[in-house]
Amino acid sequence: MTETELITTQPINSIAADQSSPALACFGLSKKFKSIQALDNVSLTVPRGSIFGFLGPNGAGKSTLIRVVAGLIAADNGHFDILGKSSLKGHKVREGMSTLVDRADFYKNLSAYQNMKILGRITGHDSDEHINRLLDLLGLYDRRKDKVKTFSQGMKQRLGLAQSLLPDPKLLVLDEPTTGLDPQGMHEIRDFILKIAAEQNVTIFLSSHLLHEVELICSDIALIFNGKLAAQGSMQNIFREIDNVTIELEVEDSKTTLAFLEKNDLVSQVTPLANAISIEIHYNKIPELIRLMTAAKINIFSVSQRNRLENYFLSLMEEK
Amino acid sequence: MILLKLTRNELYKIFSLVRSYIGMILFTGIVPLILWGYGMGTSHIEGQIESSVSDMFFIEGSPTNGYTAAYFIMNFFWIHIPFLLALVGGDIFAGEHANGTFRVYATRPISRLSIFLSKVLATTIYTFIFVFYFGILTLGLGLIWHGGGDMLVFHDGVLILESSDALVRFFLAYSFSFVNMVLVSSIAIFFSTMVRNAVGPVIGTMALFIFILMVSTLPLEVFKSIQPYLFTTYFSNWEQAFYDPIPWGDLFRGVGLVFSNIVMFLGIALIIFRRKDILS
Repeated sequence: MTETELITTQPINSIAADQSSPALACFGLSKKFKSIQALDNVSLTVPRGSIFGFLGPNGAGKSTLIRVVAGLIAADNGHFDILGKSSLKGHKVREGMSTLVDRADFYKNLSAYQNMKILGRITGHDSDEHINRLLDLLGLYDRRKDKVKTFSQGMKQRLGLAQSLLPDPKLLVLDEPTTGLDPQGMHEIRDFILKIAAEQNVTIFLSSHLLHEVELICSDIALIFNGKLAAQGSMQNIFREIDNVTIELEVEDSKTTLAFLEKNDLVSQVTPLANAISIEIHYNKIPELIRLMTAAKINIFSVSQRNRLENYFLSLMEEK
Repeated sequence: MILLKLTRNELYKIFSLVRSYIGMILFTGIVPLILWGYGMGTSHIEGQIESSVSDMFFIEGSPTNGYTAAYFIMNFFWIHIPFLLALVGGDIFAGEHANGTFRVYATRPISRLSIFLSKVLATTIYTFIFVFYFGILTLGLGLIWHGGGDMLVFHDGVLILESSDALVRFFLAYSFSFVNMVLVSSIAIFFSTMVRNAVGPVIGTMALFIFILMVSTLPLEVFKSIQPYLFTTYFSNWEQAFYDPIPWGDLFRGVGLVFSNIVMFLGIALIIFRRKDILS
């Protein structure tokens, strides 16, 4: 797939659609580390108001792109705009953007509050009220005076999020924010991301290799393989491009349902599972199948689409 | 304005680390010990000095007073202070790399130049505080313990400086020493921008310092021609503040060379830091 073939979309939950410039736009970014082409002419657009998932396998170039945008490394070629400001104008391009790159790290001998204060001071967002409000938002207010070295990884990650919200960003870039967290910690961070996006009116650019995580919270995605952008668009539009999907049906009478599905032309493959039935079906045919099943008086408790993004991801990888 | 904020942050970080106080704690313990030992061991020297020069000069106060004691201690420590300063200067960039905090700091909308300058400024302020503390401790405690009076300096024989002149001479000596110590901090900063752990810069600074010190002090003909260009040749130039008359030309030539080394090391460090990719 070439860049011109990439899926173009509008943001699903555009909060600030009146603002014409995208939250982030990259133009032909390239970066080489010795013999490895980490980024190869990458251009992508992150719509304002979206929760944008940036996907790719390990070593695909996700972190490199984020580090370029964050100012940690310099691109060999290309440039980018953040909230309408060009990177060609220097470090001020990052005003309005905040970044949490990989694992959150801190001055461990300082308290959570002191860590917040140090970063807040840089941009003039260091009032006690502001810091305490963010610590409260991320559930750390009661531990604000404790040294960070006593924090769990989940707490550190939440503190990292609180720090990244200090300058009241319009674009929040998160590089694999759930790395190293247990399932509960991952769940908490996901909830916080959704909460921040909704309550703080922030565009979120989220890099991850956890497809399920992205599928749960993102409105738009881009996929990168071997430093090249493979696809980009809204989750909805991308899924419409997928011919066959796997769905799982939880029904009252498995035996009758199996017999019904095996005779049905809409379904290409039927697999009975322990507590459900897995079927393969064209994405656009799902509503019709459910109508037919309802008409046949089959009681459906749940219909869940499994590994949608994973299927898409793997099919793209095979193409590459 | 942003530079002030960043420098404040850097000072906050420096003084939140235990290692920043190691030198001061060490001196707080060892200076009184030396002053005590000095008092115990100088009674017979005092008698000898008085008997040998009293027929030529009138010495106000004891010849082994607080000024002489402070001068005596200064001789000891200019070789040890660099190591203690390198602990802080060497950590200023590399420590942040090791902790991973650079990723957080460097992603803010501030220039690398501002970050660099704030760290250099904070390290220089720390160096000043360190030298100032050392001065106050040696001179202040020396004067309290052993009293004031005319100061004896052993340079081309015995030189007696009036007590009213001694404080000015000490101010000059500490000022020149401060410039030398800023160079040590600059070398530590230079190494700190190159590596990602705080141990390397400390070792690097001391290794370079000792190497150049050896070359600049070895009485070998082959090194004679380069010795005037080595910064360590001028590390004892503070002694010249106690000469009479003060050799201003030599002093400022030395300061000039030390200052040019500061500019060189910081200049290279800035280039390295501005081009550095922060990958981890």
